[in-house]
Formats: sequence, structure tokens, C-alpha cells
Amino acid sequence: MMPAMAQLQFCVLFLVYVATQCTSTNVDTVSSGINIKNVDRTIDISSQLVKITSKVTLENTGKSPVKNFLLAVEGTGKAKLAFIGTKDGNNKDLRNVETDVKGNDDAKFWRVDLKESINAGSTASVVVETVYTKALQPYPTSITQQEEQLVKYLGNLYFYSPYPVSSQKTNVILNTKAVETFTKVKPFLQLDGSISYGPYSNTAAFTEKELVVHYKNNSPFLTVTRLERLIEVSHWGNIAIEETIEVEHTGAKLKGPFSRYDYQQDHHSGPASVRSYKTLLPASASDVYYRDTNGNISTSNMRVKKDSVELDLRPRYPLFGGWRSHYTLGYNVPSYEYLYYSGNEYLLKMRAVDHVFDDMQIDELITKVILPEGTTNIKANFPFAVTRLPDSLHYTYLDTKGRPVITFTKTNIVENHIQDFQLRYSFPRILMLQEPLLVVGFLYTLFLCVIIYVRLDFSIHKSEHPHKD
Amino acid sequence: MVTSATLYNIMQFLNITIDIRNVCVFLAPFFSSLTTIVTYLLTKELKVCDLAGLVAAAMIAIVPGYISRSVAGSYDNEGIAIFCMLLTYYFWIKAVNTGTILWATLTALAYFYMVSSWGGYVFLINLIPLHVLALMLLGRFSARVYVAYSTLYCVGTVLSMQISFVGFQPVQSSEHMLALGVFGLCQLYAFADYLRYHLSPANFELLFKALLTTLLATLGTAVVVLTVTGKISPWTGRFYSLLDPSYAKNNIPIIASVSEHQPTSWSSFYFDLQVLVFLFPAGLYFCFAKLTDANIFIILYGVLSIYFAGVMVRLMLVLAPVMCIVSGVAASSLLSLHVKDIEPKVEKPDKKKKHENNLVFRSEVGAIFVCVLGCLLVSYVFHCTWVTSEAYSSPSIVLSARAHDGARIIFDDFREAYTWLKMNTPEDSKVMSWWDYGYQITAMANRTVIVDNNTWNNTHISRVGQAMASSEEHAYEIMRELDVDYVLVIFGGLVGYSSDDINKFLWMVRIGGSTDRGAHIKEADYYTGSGEFRVDAHGSPTLLNCLMYKMSYYKFGLVYTEGGRPPGYDRVRGAEIGNKDFNLDVLEEAYTTEHWLVRIYKVKPLPNRGL
Repeated sequence: MMPAMAQLQFCVLFLVYVATQCTSTNVDTVSSGINIKNVDRTIDISSQLVKITSKVTLENTGKSPVKNFLLAVEGTGKAKLAFIGTKDGNNKDLRNVETDVKGNDDAKFWRVDLKESINAGSTASVVVETVYTKALQPYPTSITQQEEQLVKYLGNLYFYSPYPVSSQKTNVILNTKAVETFTKVKPFLQLDGSISYGPYSNTAAFTEKELVVHYKNNSPFLTVTRLERLIEVSHWGNIAIEETIEVEHTGAKLKGPFSRYDYQQDHHSGPASVRSYKTLLPASASDVYYRDTNGNISTSNMRVKKDSVELDLRPRYPLFGGWRSHYTLGYNVPSYEYLYYSGNEYLLKMRAVDHVFDDMQIDELITKVILPEGTTNIKANFPFAVTRLPDSLHYTYLDTKGRPVITFTKTNIVENHIQDFQLRYSFPRILMLQEPLLVVGFLYTLFLCVIIYVRLDFSIHKSEHPHKD
Repeated sequence: MVTSATLYNIMQFLNITIDIRNVCVFLAPFFSSLTTIVTYLLTKELKVCDLAGLVAAAMIAIVPGYISRSVAGSYDNEGIAIFCMLLTYYFWIKAVNTGTILWATLTALAYFYMVSSWGGYVFLINLIPLHVLALMLLGRFSARVYVAYSTLYCVGTVLSMQISFVGFQPVQSSEHMLALGVFGLCQLYAFADYLRYHLSPANFELLFKALLTTLLATLGTAVVVLTVTGKISPWTGRFYSLLDPSYAKNNIPIIASVSEHQPTSWSSFYFDLQVLVFLFPAGLYFCFAKLTDANIFIILYGVLSIYFAGVMVRLMLVLAPVMCIVSGVAASSLLSLHVKDIEPKVEKPDKKKKHENNLVFRSEVGAIFVCVLGCLLVSYVFHCTWVTSEAYSSPSIVLSARAHDGARIIFDDFREAYTWLKMNTPEDSKVMSWWDYGYQITAMANRTVIVDNNTWNNTHISRVGQAMASSEEHAYEIMRELDVDYVLVIFGGLVGYSSDDINKFLWMVRIGGSTDRGAHIKEADYYTGSGEFRVDAHGSPTLLNCLMYKMSYYKFGLVYTEGGRPPGYDRVRGAEIGNKDFNLDVLEEAYTTEHWLVRIYKVKPLPNRGL
């Protein structure tokens, strides 16, 4: 009975494992042999994002060497978390995998694999970087044109960790002196543009204490609600990129009228509004266009720099809280920088998402890659977890059976996601001749028909006497 | 629109991925190139001069009167309609020349296409019967014409009635009566011919007279009865204004308010046609010299369209093709006449005798004449290029000006405002503006408008005019009644854009006061005591407190526009505004574009009770 039961259990477990493998969920336990000696945390809330950088010193208080450890994010913050990255003391990236811990369903966990295991009694330092979007609440939620924008940050006063922390310090960067209220837990110190908390000693695992800062933040609160990135690869040496972008000002909403007179007269009018922003394109970008459904947007500037092309984009109108804008930005890049090949095998290496503006947040990203007609054996490799949508076909000039389109989507994107994805595919190079031959063949047939028609007489009977003039 | 959709679908089918907008943009140039080909065929069919077709095609390719409607981006019905019209004429002349049912049916099909594209088909359906009538009077009526016209009328009318806009008009309205009458006359004429062939002259005379009297009597009674019972629609305003240029101005302000409906000035004839104006009479002479059925048609067409173009600027479009055709005939006839003289003589014994001439310096005169005509044609080319680049090339939606240092300043305010409306107002909001901007708002801002360029609902436009001309409280009632959410006005006082709403305001007053409900609006109230229209402190108080004035000048009294002038100096009217310090009670400023060209106001909801 036992073996059958065990077998069944194994089967079920295996199935569950297979089923959950897709979302890469593992199960881990919190090791009791790890203690955090020191945490130095910086919370940057001077922009619209919340960027937390924590320098963590781990200590192995157990007996056996430690190969990995767990990171945790509190239940209130996990929906807003856009990015989590880990580095070791030498600034090398460490791999982290999403995982689950039994008994702690509220929080979210990551398992970080260390490069070198920590021996019993020794320490190692790790840098953890997290970025949250939409964690700053405009308060009040609507303001008039002249008012400053006030926002509220709700966070955790302590480093949230499954391990006990011996000592920790937190520095909140605001870049402003105008703070309405903030949590006061001694020892703390308010400096010019920042508040520092701590050191606090000996906090238990999973300690939460509310940290509230209500302060002035006039930095642009712009959200890209939807970004559709279209990459069209041509083997004739060009890659065309077109981004359709929907932008919304997600800060405090504009209350009451918009007065153009005040806006023009007083340069400080509308402090929370966004007049323009900068987009960085690859240095080799050419033929840049910036337009919307009503045609070319005439208010933009382009500067070619050494390592990038900087676009100074001005929407048609300044963006106030709650106002939206929509535009299309397109450019060409030469393919030799992104497309590698050997024989009939090709490798495309491009950014899954590119820079829109500094401290950007993108709600929804859809990237489409159009490959040349006749491409087969497509294998994709993404730097972060994405949802791959079903492939489709795209028809354009001189296509017969359509070009394959790879589509993938991801929500909640920040600048840290500007990374390369890879596409491997094979393409018989002889197919490059298909389109020219198509045109030549068509013209040849056309002229042939004309020649035949002109040389031969197709009339049923010859008219005896031509029409009277 | 069906045309562009068809083209779009064909291209999509061929995997030519062109945006539907691009199809629309290039539709007019595409059709104008077809027009050139049709012009060539049509002129060739006249057979006055062999090479006239080429010259006419070259002329129509660049004539400003037609380019005004065929530049890329002018997605208008007229662009297609001119092509259809010329195509119909070509088929018609073919039909008259050959007398085959095939060509007549093709004429009917082309006519159907024309009807579906433009309301100006009325001109066509009157011109062709007129041609038939003229042929009858001149004794040139033949079986060919009979076949052509009968087929065209039957097929064409049935087809045109399929268009819902036309409906039963071809048998009811007065504009189509000529066609119907001529059709009847054709049958009678043919019948009479048939009878004459079979009867003796005396009997025929008797029968003819008796029949004619009865017929005329019945017809007359029928027309009277039908008009009284309302079956035949009364003469519409546009038609009257064609016959009597001053009719519209005196009776229907909305027709007169459109600048395209104004009578054409002499200068604009020259501006749009240049050398063609002088070649036209010469061409007519050559047509008369070699009178054929087809030439009579072109003569009729030319003379009629000259008259109509004189009545309305817009109909210059109908005139331009015939000008080109007739001038092409003239130019090529003149040229071939004189080129013959300067060509080296080919020794041909029998011709030599015929060309026995008594004129001296033949070849010299010929050479000089060819030179002069050549110069005229070259100057025509330069003129056309200049007119096209100056008047018809810049889009009216993006304005540009020169700064003091010569740099170009772009005023992109219209698109700025429309995009703002599109992105930042609720999707179901309704926008009130003067009707000129109706189509633009619908297309570019994707919002419902109260009135638009389709001006058939005269009373509705009048209601908007009343709202603009009334005081704020009264206007609020009208706006509530029309369920308006946003109001849009065009204001050029800051940058000096002269076709703004204040300059159109008198038309709003006139149109607003032209209906019963606007009886309280009197044009005289908006003038000063001495009968001037002024916006400064001397202006009439009614004007200074009406909604349009307040919306245009809200907060403008604080702005310095020109050095050395007081604040609130209106650069279009050249005056300091008279009412500076006021607040809006029922509206709030929702958006004003960068150069204040477009101002959008939000209509406030009703105030809460007890406040």
C-alpha cells in the first residue's frame, strides 16, 4: 500500500511542480542560521518612484555553510513592486528566484543564490535594490493650477526580512525641505532634503512599523499607461522601431480652470505640470519621427550626442494632473549593431523596452518583433519574466506567406528593465532574392501580355467602314 | 469615401500596407491625374485640332483653379467629382458621335458615379439636355443623339435614384425638370419624324398642331397642380442664388456667409486661370469655325460655366476644365497654323498650288507669333507654380508667420486644441462652436458637435448663433437646452489671425436673428450709434457683454500684446478692448492654446440649491 501511495503522491507532486514551474514558484524554508548584522537602507522618494537600496551584511550563525538566503517584501508593497535586483559586494549581479515560504502567505519571497557560500561564523555583504511604482499617493488628490503637489509615502520603518536584524539605519531622500509631517521614532534627524532614522538595534524577523512622510514633490508624475513597441527587422540592413505611447499625468488632479494667462505670465505657475521631457534613443538612430493621430507634432528638438540621441519631446499641451497624451515615436537603426549571423543562423539582440523619460513607469508593455518572411526555428530568450502572446503573421509590401511576429507583454516596468532580449532564428539567405524576383517576374509578365496584345488582332470582325468622324 | 475605401481594400489585398489616411490624402492628386487623361481624350474627341488634346491636358495639369481642389490632403468630394464630370462628358460626346448604346450606358454609369460623389451633378444633368435642345433647335438632331440621350436619361435617372440623398428628386424637383422635359421632347420629336415619314404633309400639319396644343395644355396644368400640392419641390435657395446673385444675400444669411458662395471678382478669374482667360474666346472662335455636335456641347459648357463661375467663387472649379479644353484648342490651332509657315517647305507639287499666298513675311510673322504664344505659355507655367505655392500649398490648420529675424514661427494651435479635446474630455461630451469648425472637431477631436459644416439644419445653426450673441444668462439657457459641455471659440487677437470668431460674429448675429426664436437679436444692437462695429470702449454695450465677446476676451485685458500699447490691445481689430475686467459666471476656462488661437470653455453644471 505504501509504495502505491507514495507513487501517487509523487505523481501529484510532480504534476504540481510541473504546473507551477511555469510561474517559477518554488518552496523554501527560512533558515535559522542566518542573522543580519547590519542594514544600511536608502529610500529615494524624490521622484515619482520609490527606490530602495539596502546594503545588507549577512552573518552565518549556524554551523553549516550557507549557499543562499531569502529576501522578503511585505504584503502591502508586493503589488507595487516593479523590480528587485541583488548584487554582491563586488557589484556582480546575483541570481534571484521567486519562491514561497509556508506560513507566510502574505509576504512575497525571493531566494538569492550566492556566488560563494558563507562559512559558519563569517559574513558577506549584499546590495538589494527594489523599485516600487505608484507607492506615492498624491494628498490632497486634486489641486488647483497654482498649488504645489503634496504626496504621502507609506512604508516600513524597518528592513523587512525573514531574519532578525542586529542593527539598521534608514535614510529617506526627499530633495526638499517642505515636509508636512513625518514619522518620528527616535533616534531620527531631519537634514536638508533628507531624513535619517536609526540606528535601531535588534529588530525581530518580519517586523513592520509604519513610516509616513508627507512632503512636497513636484517632480513629473508621468505614467506610460501603454507602450507598444514594434521592431521590424529587415535583412537589407535596417531595423525600424516604432513606439506608440500613451502617457498620463498620475499626480494630483487639476481642480478648477486652466488659465493660460497665469501659465504664461508666471513661470512658477503650474509647478506640478509637465511641459516637456527627454527621451534617449540609441546613438545610431536616424529618421526620427514624432507624431500622433493628428499629424506631426511640431514641438520637439533632437540633439545627437556621442552615446545617444537625445529627444526633447514637448507634448502638444502641458500635462496637468489627470491629463493624457498619446503619440508615436519611430526611428531606424542599422541592423549590424543588433543582428548577428553565421550561415543561415541569426541572432537578434535588442532592448525589450527603451528609455522614455527619466524615472519612467510603464503600466503595460507590448513588444512585437516582425521577422523577415521565411524565418523558421524561432527561439526567444528574455531577461525577465514576460507573458508571451501567440505568434501571428504580418503582411506588408511584396509578402506572400506573411512575416512571423513574436509578441510578448509585461506589466509594471521601470528603467531597470531596459535590458536585451535575444531571438535566435534561421533564415535561408537565398530567400532575400524572393522579393526582387517577384517584381521582375510581374513586370516581365505584364510586358509580355502587352506585347502579345499589341501584336495580335483580337477583334471578332473587322469593321467595314470606320466610324464617321 | 466609398472610392477611398475600395482603393484601400485593394491595396490591403495586395499586401500594400498603406494607412487609410494616406489613401485619403493622395486620393485627390490621383484623381486629378486621371482628370488629365480624360481631358486629353475629351479634347481629342472634339476633333478641332489634332494636338489640342495634349495642350489641354498640359494646361489642366497645372491650372490653379483645379489645383485648389486637388492638392494632396484636400479630401473633398470635388476632387473626384471633376474627374467624374469630365468622364461623363467624354462618354457623352463619344455617345453622340457614334450613337451606340454602349457609350450611352457608360455615360450613365459615369453620371451615377458623379451623382454619388457631388451635389453639383445638377449642373451636368441640366447641361446635357441643354445640348440636346440646342441640337434640336439647330436642326442637328439625329438618331444618334436620340439613342444617346434616351439611354442616358433612363439608365442614369434610375441609377441616380438609388442614392438616398437624391431619392425621388429627378422626377419631382424643379432642378431636374429640364432633363425630364427634354426627354419627353426627344420622344415627341422622334415620333413626329416618324409620322412625317408616313403621312402626307397636310395631314401631318393638322395632327401636329392638335397634338402640340393638347400636350402643352396638359403639361401646364400638371405642373401647376403638382406645384400647388407640393409634389414638385419649390425652388431652393442655392438655385435662386445661381440665377440672381443678390438673392441669397438678401434672404438667407447662412448661404451668403460662406466666402465660397460670394460672387467672383475679376481678379480671381485672372488669378485662377491667367492666360486661359484670353485664349478662351479664341478657342470659342475655332469651335464655331468647325461646328460639330461635340463642339456645340463644349461651347454650351464653356458659356454656362463662365456665367455660374461669375455667380459663385466655388464654381470656378467647374469652369477650369472647360477653360483648359477651349484654350487648348485655341493654342494648338494657332500654333499649328503658324508653325506650318515656318517649317521648311516640303516640295509637293499639288500642294504648292493650293498654298499660293499673297502675304509677305509669312514665315517671319509666324515665327514672332510662335514666340509670343510661347512666352505666354511659359508665363502661364510660372504663374501656376507661383499661385500653387503661395495660395494652395500651405495647410490652413497650421499657420505660420515670419519673426523679425526671418525665422519661421509655427502656430500649431488648432491641432493642439483638438488633441487636448480628444484626450482630456469625457468621450461623450458635446462641443459647441461655430459651424466652420464642426468637421474638424469631429474628425480630429473625435467629439460630438452641435453644428457642423453640413449646413442643412439652418435653425440649429441659428440657435448656436443666438447663444453666441446673447448675454451670459440667456446663453446659459440655450446651452442647457442644447446639452453643451464645452464651448470652443477661435480668437486671433493675440497673434493677429484675422479670420477668427469676432470677425465672423456679425454673421452669427445675422443668422441667429434670422429665425423666429432669435427675434430678440437685432443686428443694429451690435453697432455703435454711428453704425460701426467696434470692440473698444465705444462699442455697443450689447456687444461688449455678449457671450462671444466674453469668451474671446476673458483675461485678455491683462495681456500686453504689442510694445507701446496698453494691455488688452487686439491686434486684429487694432483697438484696445472695451470690456476688460469681467468674470465668467456660467463657464470656466478649460483650455487655451499657446497663442490663444483656440479657447475652450467648460459649461459649469447648475449650482447646488441653497448655496
